[in-house]
Amino acid sequence: MDFSLTDEQQLLVESLQEYAERYFDDQSVMDMYEAHQVPAEAQDAYRDAGFPFMGLPEEVGGIPTDHVTLGLMTEKLYEFTGAMTPFMTGMLACADLAEFGTPEQAAVIMEEYEKSGQSVAALCLSEPAAGSDNMGMTCVTKKQADGSFILSGQKTWVTNGADVPYLIVIAKDEDASRDNTKMSLWLVKRETPGISTAHLTKIGQHTVPFVEVYFDDVVVTEDQRIGEAGAGWLLLMKNFEFERCLVVAQGLGLAQAAQNDAVKYAKERIAFNKPIITNPRVQDLIEENEIILQQTRHWLYYCLWKLDQGESINADIAMLKSWGTRAHVQLADNAIEIFGGLGYTEEVRVGRIWRDLRGNMLAGGTCEVMDYIAGRAIPKWYAD
Amino acid sequence: MNIAVAVKVVPDDQDITVAPDRSLDSSKAHQIASEYDLNAIEAAAQLAEAEGARLVAISASNAKAGDMKVRKSILSRGPEELLMIADDAYAFADSRTTAKALAKLVGDVEGGVDLVVCGDGSADMYAGQVNVQLASVLGVPCINSVTAMRMENGALVVERTLDDVVEEIEVALPAVVGVSPDIALPRIAGMREILAAGKKPATVNDAAAAGVDTNGTVEIDSVVAPELADRKREIFDTKNDGDLDAFIDAVAGVIR
Repeated sequence: MDFSLTDEQQLLVESLQEYAERYFDDQSVMDMYEAHQVPAEAQDAYRDAGFPFMGLPEEVGGIPTDHVTLGLMTEKLYEFTGAMTPFMTGMLACADLAEFGTPEQAAVIMEEYEKSGQSVAALCLSEPAAGSDNMGMTCVTKKQADGSFILSGQKTWVTNGADVPYLIVIAKDEDASRDNTKMSLWLVKRETPGISTAHLTKIGQHTVPFVEVYFDDVVVTEDQRIGEAGAGWLLLMKNFEFERCLVVAQGLGLAQAAQNDAVKYAKERIAFNKPIITNPRVQDLIEENEIILQQTRHWLYYCLWKLDQGESINADIAMLKSWGTRAHVQLADNAIEIFGGLGYTEEVRVGRIWRDLRGNMLAGGTCEVMDYIAGRAIPKWYAD
Repeated sequence: MNIAVAVKVVPDDQDITVAPDRSLDSSKAHQIASEYDLNAIEAAAQLAEAEGARLVAISASNAKAGDMKVRKSILSRGPEELLMIADDAYAFADSRTTAKALAKLVGDVEGGVDLVVCGDGSADMYAGQVNVQLASVLGVPCINSVTAMRMENGALVVERTLDDVVEEIEVALPAVVGVSPDIALPRIAGMREILAAGKKPATVNDAAAAGVDTNGTVEIDSVVAPELADRKREIFDTKNDGDLDAFIDAVAGVIR
């Protein structure tokens, strides 16, 4: 067993730190949360350093790497910036496109990154009445006499949805009814006639825009279908496990940033003539936070390692996402407690991190859905 | 055209601890490329890219400088090759001794070197003398405080920014230039460059193997941290008459 990082992984972490120091100082991050976006300059620099290409296959111009390194990159980016960024969602959408798309479809990744550092595609999955309950989906494509298709319906909670050139849409084939299991993935230009978006205001994660997307009789053609007809949900499911790993890695990085701030403050803040870090109750909070960090970190890297061995982590990551994302919110809550009244203001960032982390309990499936997945799997681990 | 960029590898100052006797302990420190040398690498890399020149990094640094991670860190930022003498004789060597070692490495570059680019000063000693000493050993001109450079008709044209004037100077090659940190913002090494760095050639020798003389012209008596002054805990309040003047006098007293 080897817990050490390679030279290349350490240098990657150093590059991420240089990147974060250059573009994510406190004032810049506050401006990003205000403006509801990461500025083009920071997105272009992220592209210039090659970070969005990590994990993509060589054929599409990517830099192939293992899941452990991608998890490390995510954790460290979030720790160093202390902010939510659109990059990981963008990376996941590109990974789907590179893995399931035709060479022509995958080529749009580099075409778009030539133009700017902005994410290329956003995944349109959830609907007002369907998310984890995917069979409840009502977005549908219907074949026309001329061979084209009409896409209609509504998607919601689409991360990055208004700011990307392409949407990856999952819709039922021909029939929107609950018992139709056939769904396909489609690559659709955001600017296609019939597509409109409406901004949703979240309580946190303001740097990552969130929209509803409406498809009003949008014409799509067969060459826009990603992967086999009817197999869309099966394709998407392949990457859910890794997506959940990245949600935990993001949360872990933000949680570490909150702990860094809290410990620094506890050492500096004098009350009753001594730094509050000498107070056993404050030490309890710091220790609880450290347990959460170490527990989620070790568990996350175990999941990523298992993915790299080609094993399923369906139940492992479901348990970690359920327990870990909740624990990270508790950690940020403890950090606010250590700051006292100051922690409840916008003068420090632990409150913002607390709001951001609450969203990660929902992203990629709620804790309760995670518990349901793990709850069904665990009994099978024990022979009768 | 061949360009060499001089890089000193130093212990990361964040990892250096000060003992009660004020001596510095860098035994647990990570080795890093000296901060302002990163700007020199970037400026040299930009010139090399513009001119289609070959860029080689040269270094005379302490024995731990040959660490694989440090090599890859330097090579991920533009240079195509690294020539290094890693020997503790160079941890705190005087500028002349370091310059002689770098001159040896310049001589080792295949096809010779047209231009040597040096940073403003090293992160540890910050003497800022190696560029002029190196030029003197090599017998070539030296221009320092350089804030921009480009090639024109086979000669190097540099901007030299002084307190009251910006000079534009044309210099025939070969030459040595010392560049100011603001000449170029160091690039963030991308993963592609980091992965490629491990495959680039690097030659690392100790002083004996490199055949260089480490006998210095300056003897270092001791290197110690400044004495820590106790906090005076004096509080001035502008609400009290005369406090502001007393504060100004106190500050002025320390400065004078």
